Amino acid sequence: MQRSHFEIATMTIRRFLIFAPILLIIVLLQSYFWVPTYDEQTKGNPERLNEYITGSIGDASLLNPILTADSASSSIENMVFEGLIDRDEQLRFRGRLATSWEVFEEAYFYVNPSADIPRLGRADPETLVDFIKKAKQKNQTKNRELKDSLGFITDIFVLPPKTSWVTKPFKDPTTGKQKNINIRIRAPARIKLILNRVDPDFFQNLSLLLGKNYFESFNGKTYLMSDSEMEKVKLESYAGELLPAIEHNPVLLFHLRPGVRFHDGHLFDAYDVKFTYESIMNPKNLSPRIADYEPVKSVTVINPLTVKIVYKRLYSPAMGTWGMGILPEHLLNHNALKEEAHRLGKDSNTFSMRQSRFNRHPVGCGPFRFQEWKSDQYIILNRFDGYWEGPPNYNKYVFRVIPDRLTQEMEFYAGTIDGYDVQPHQVKRLEKDQRFQSFSGTAFGYTYIGYNIRRKPFDDPRVRRALGMAIDVDKIIDYVLYGQGERITGPFVKQTDYYNHNIEPVPYDPQGALTLLAAAGWKPDKQGWLTKDGNKFQFTLITNNGNDLRKAILAIAQDAWKQIGMDVHTDLLEWSVFIQERVNKADFDALILGWQMGIDPDLYQIWHSSQTNPYQLNFVSFKNKEADDLIIKIRQEYNHNRQVRYCHRLHEIIAKEQPYTFLYVGKWTAVLDKRIVIKTIDDAGNIRYEKIKPTKTGNYSFYFNKWIKLPEAPGFMLEG
Amino acid sequence: MISFIGRSVIQKIITLFFVSIVSFLIIHIAPGKPSQVDPMNPKFTPEVVERFQKEFHLDKPLHVQYLYFYRDLFTGETVSWKDNQSVLKKIWERFLNSLPLFIVGTIITWTLSFPIGIRSAIFRGQFYDRSATFLSYLLISIPGFFFAYVLIIFVVNQFHVPVIGMETFGIGDGASLPHIFMDRIWHLLLPSLLGATGGIAVLSRYVRSQMLEVEGQDYIRTARAKGLPPEQVHYKHALRNALLPFVTMFGLILPGLIGGSVIIESIFSWPGMGRMAYEAILARDYPVILTVNFVSAVLVLAGTFISDLLYLIVDPRIRL
Repeated sequence: MQRSHFEIATMTIRRFLIFAPILLIIVLLQSYFWVPTYDEQTKGNPERLNEYITGSIGDASLLNPILTADSASSSIENMVFEGLIDRDEQLRFRGRLATSWEVFEEAYFYVNPSADIPRLGRADPETLVDFIKKAKQKNQTKNRELKDSLGFITDIFVLPPKTSWVTKPFKDPTTGKQKNINIRIRAPARIKLILNRVDPDFFQNLSLLLGKNYFESFNGKTYLMSDSEMEKVKLESYAGELLPAIEHNPVLLFHLRPGVRFHDGHLFDAYDVKFTYESIMNPKNLSPRIADYEPVKSVTVINPLTVKIVYKRLYSPAMGTWGMGILPEHLLNHNALKEEAHRLGKDSNTFSMRQSRFNRHPVGCGPFRFQEWKSDQYIILNRFDGYWEGPPNYNKYVFRVIPDRLTQEMEFYAGTIDGYDVQPHQVKRLEKDQRFQSFSGTAFGYTYIGYNIRRKPFDDPRVRRALGMAIDVDKIIDYVLYGQGERITGPFVKQTDYYNHNIEPVPYDPQGALTLLAAAGWKPDKQGWLTKDGNKFQFTLITNNGNDLRKAILAIAQDAWKQIGMDVHTDLLEWSVFIQERVNKADFDALILGWQMGIDPDLYQIWHSSQTNPYQLNFVSFKNKEADDLIIKIRQEYNHNRQVRYCHRLHEIIAKEQPYTFLYVGKWTAVLDKRIVIKTIDDAGNIRYEKIKPTKTGNYSFYFNKWIKLPEAPGFMLEG
Repeated sequence: MISFIGRSVIQKIITLFFVSIVSFLIIHIAPGKPSQVDPMNPKFTPEVVERFQKEFHLDKPLHVQYLYFYRDLFTGETVSWKDNQSVLKKIWERFLNSLPLFIVGTIITWTLSFPIGIRSAIFRGQFYDRSATFLSYLLISIPGFFFAYVLIIFVVNQFHVPVIGMETFGIGDGASLPHIFMDRIWHLLLPSLLGATGGIAVLSRYVRSQMLEVEGQDYIRTARAKGLPPEQVHYKHALRNALLPFVTMFGLILPGLIGGSVIIESIFSWPGMGRMAYEAILARDYPVILTVNFVSAVLVLAGTFISDLLYLIVDPRIRL
């Protein structure tokens, strides 16, 4: 008995060891029969044609346009929220929530009682106003610029003198203590002029009429009084800020579209615009966009459909910032947030928009309405039927997070995603497939080799140019980028007017490079190394680890320079070390890096000579007086043609100085199912299908709201 | 017994304290800054960066930051810098996602390794043992991601069914409950199998060597000499004693709960712990990194504690 009992126990253990894994595997494998196949999901599902599914590597962070700056979040925000304006096919501004807008200027200057005005002498404010008015009417000035500037004036007022107090923090130099100082300002009378456009040269031209030194000789300091024995010098430094002799206040006046509703049915109006601006400026919200709106002086609601935005100073990138999605005030204002904090049992004093539920359940007035967000899985948006421009054709916009590029491609082939960020090597595979249509265009960023101009021998523009001539950039584009790139010669976006197409790229010419180097004093020694005054031409080229393209360029450049006799070392550094230790501290000879550009031509942070300190972006230390002037002028110029002229000249200077060797701008490619077309319905109700065509500037999804997927690829495509 | 538990708990708390300091220091001293303070974005003016630093207490000395962080952690108020979500809530969500993957993976590992290992030991040196050895080393040396790609491409091309994600995308609308359940099982299959391959390879080797060691003991020889059938010798006398070290391993798999697998989760678009932690590291989202770190340290210590206890219970020879 004992024996058989043991035998049975042994058998049970053995059976268990054999059958448990088999059973487990059977249970797992049979689930296959329950899973819908790809065909059932795509062809067997008619609803699928009304959905656009896009694949993304990363998830969105927050869905609130004022709080985020990452691309995944913005791609959803652009669908849910709508700005006042955006850019059309030609990259010109186009009204969205605003139907039209006016750009004009309010200019101010303080009456300078001590200045002698030609043909008038010293004048009180009223006489001065009359004098300017007469000059405008008589129209007899010979100077054309002055005549133009006077012609822009539509109105002049005198603002009477006024007295006010301000409090400024002040550090006592003897005790080193921080204290507040009250300053009394007894401002003299001020003249306010309304101009029908923004005129950066207005005061310069007006000084032709009022005398050369009229504005310069105005001494603000004499109107300031401090309550304590504050140093004169200190007071003087505040004078420019508190009583500027002249002031340009550009104004944007937006007329808003009537009858536009948010997704919850609430009517959109000018208070929402004002609220969005105030939210960005509210320090509690930590908006990364605050720098764009810092030059705003005031946002005033004239009536529910008109909003007036006044700027502190000339700032031409201002217009572009109003493409920013507008937030619904009624859901996020002080009371709404207080109520939410109360509901969640949180302290309403510290509760800010950043904590609000809104960021994961956004409400805007864009073409798609938010439905659901599962972190790291998907975001689903539904069509908004009340969209002011007519609802989009697709019922749903789905954003799927698929962090792996190969699985993205698999899903794309299977038809469960309609679009994703295709890589250059994948383009080659997909381009030839009959099922797909592909688009490509020039990207907005460029890659360059930057030289540290503080160090020898990079301080000589001839040397920098020679370095560029030694590298065969066309070969890099062909072999490293698989042809997915174009040459670039300067810092502007290539598809905008600002880019100067007359500038030739630096040619590939190693012999010419040697000639230039010889002119700069660098001659080959017996072993063939370039030397000057006994020093070898020796430096280190660095870039960040993790970018294969840059790594390849690193090797190519090193080799090219070695061939003309330079002793080049290379180094790959982890991104944060690269930025913190080398770039920020300007501790490098030469580096490979790229810039992502916006459409606006403002180059202040990257190229102005004031931005060359540690932790600033002009880390190559490019300094050129004319370039500085142009950068400031571009920032201040509201006239497109003149801005283009300045940009072309700036482009020329930078190309001549070669602080960077501009390598290439990448090309993007998008691949879509051929069945996706543009569908339009004309007034008579006829449906028309058109092939999707990229706009001139290469934006293929410009008409996204008109896109739809058909059951079969339409015939015109096979012809085309 | 009680004194052992008491002593052990105190020791572990002291260890945890040092772990918290070291992990905090490592993360703060390592180069790189949170993406909100990234100086390479021209839109970020120094004022904005400064304000973020103030908000995140990055302007304070390290020991003050340390106190702030652990105060927030213990009051449950830690929020991620990326999206202002509560970190504990995020971790809990991801934990629930990773849990089925972990459970199924562990079951596969343990149920498959034992039969394979035992058989190898019984047929030592024969064809079965050699091929099992070969396969084990093959599985250990093939990188997981490569294997995953091969498997995905094979399954998708042959069977035309989706394999990535936790469920077939869009199945929620109108499918029946068993369908949804089985769909989830299917999506678990490949990632958990891949997660288990390495485990099977290692564990079956371990089982084999344990078995062989036990089979060489005197009492086994005695059992054989008694004339017991070989089956009974293997499965009753040898296996029981060979199992002893594995009981303690149960405690040590606990930390695996929070680790997740970055590579498997990324390839299969699985919204799990590993991926969240990885993305947090890339964005230098300190609150998330440190919390995950702390929780896993707690789990490691708890795991060793449990395995100590298990050993105590299972092996009567050990007395503390």
